[in-house]
Amino acid sequence: MAKTIIPFGPQHPVLPEPLQLKLVMDEDTVVEAIPAIGYVHRGLEKLAELKDFNQTVYIVERVCGICSFMHSMAYVRGIEDIMGVVIPERAEFLRVIWAEIARIQSHLLYLGLIADGFGFESLFMETWKDREKILDVMEFTTGNRVIISANKVGGQTKDMTQEHFTAILKTMDEIEAKLKEYDKVFINNYSVKKRTVGIGYLSLEDVKEYAAVGPMARASGWAWDLRQTGYSAYKYLDFEPVVETGGDCHARNVVRIRETFQSIDLVRQAISKIPEGEIAVQVKGTPKGEVISRIEQPRGEAVYYIKGNGTKNLDRLRIRTPTFANIPTILKMLPGSQLPDVPIITLTIDPCISCTER
Amino acid sequence: MLPNMLLIENETFHFINKENLRNEIKKYKDDGYRMCSITCERLGEEEFELTYHMDLNYELTNLRLVGKYSEKIPSISHIFPSALLHENEYKDLFGIDFEDLLIDYKGNLYIPADGTKNPLR
Repeated sequence: MAKTIIPFGPQHPVLPEPLQLKLVMDEDTVVEAIPAIGYVHRGLEKLAELKDFNQTVYIVERVCGICSFMHSMAYVRGIEDIMGVVIPERAEFLRVIWAEIARIQSHLLYLGLIADGFGFESLFMETWKDREKILDVMEFTTGNRVIISANKVGGQTKDMTQEHFTAILKTMDEIEAKLKEYDKVFINNYSVKKRTVGIGYLSLEDVKEYAAVGPMARASGWAWDLRQTGYSAYKYLDFEPVVETGGDCHARNVVRIRETFQSIDLVRQAISKIPEGEIAVQVKGTPKGEVISRIEQPRGEAVYYIKGNGTKNLDRLRIRTPTFANIPTILKMLPGSQLPDVPIITLTIDPCISCTER
Repeated sequence: MLPNMLLIENETFHFINKENLRNEIKKYKDDGYRMCSITCERLGEEEFELTYHMDLNYELTNLRLVGKYSEKIPSISHIFPSALLHENEYKDLFGIDFEDLLIDYKGNLYIPADGTKNPLR
């Protein structure tokens, strides 16, 4: 029988991102899937070469609206390494607190989208309603909900007060209580499991072959989390990578839910340990040298290559985002799957195409 | 300093060439390394450098190759499928001709057919 090619995306009701998959079908079964991107390429790496390295912070935090804070965190850490700048401990803790809050909102966004993917609209609305509480915390602590501009070369642009910490801890308690309810649905609900267990399997060998990162990789048994290297204030916090071995869509959901619980705990730990002191140091001069700066974003490892030439403009900024690393896993996961499972499998990558294309 | 790494000429790179690129990458893969990223930087009008960042247990090893735009560079996407997006991106943005890509977007991964060619070159 002749094969059919179905274009899935870039505009599709279930896809939150402009990704196109050309699905070569044999009746209801996917034979081959070819991803295509390029709908939101903005040339940010070129733009970064034209701007002052301090202005580039504003560019990188606009690579993506979901992992915005951690993009700027990776960038400023790279510049600080090139220039030999050591920031105050309080600034390191503030970075970790905002980073983990950002991870919580990213994972809640994911949970909503995956619920929408299998038609569970009320669950989608509930998780995003809770995400609003996190965005409210962002606004309370920084003045902005999404792109918070809290990082700069040399430290932080804003500090937090005891009032902020109290509000954050209260929100963490509320989110944790709701997560315990979501836990029951995403992990134990019969209908949800029917759509996710055994679907989109990626083995540990596949993870290494395709160099997958983040929850995609940890759901297949790969215990790798950049935060374990102890960068920033993570060296003072107590945690282990969240790992599952199922390798399917269900395992990826479980990893992200457990990581959300873990992030709540990390925020509490960081708030209990944050020292008093300055939040930034004065930075003089311009960066000269090359650095690789890596960070564990919600979707996985992000890699920043930064090259300075001693002037205020960078020679090169290259950003490899986690979705950029994870998209090729589609080549492994989709062939052999059924057409109705394509959206769920794709969504479990937690794709962020604006990150991928920059 | 982990996971960051300052890249210092002659200290943190292994220099390779396009003839031994695939063999070197295969050796690293067989030793358990994963491909972290590929970086491309222009070196004047005629040349570019590709740096393959390989990770093992959070430590990076960097393989650097200097190539000419007039030459074809072997693709490593059959060894590490994740390289296909990197190599197609550099085909778009720098105009590097990669040989035997797993999926070849023919210079249109990001840039449309009527767009500015090779904007980072």
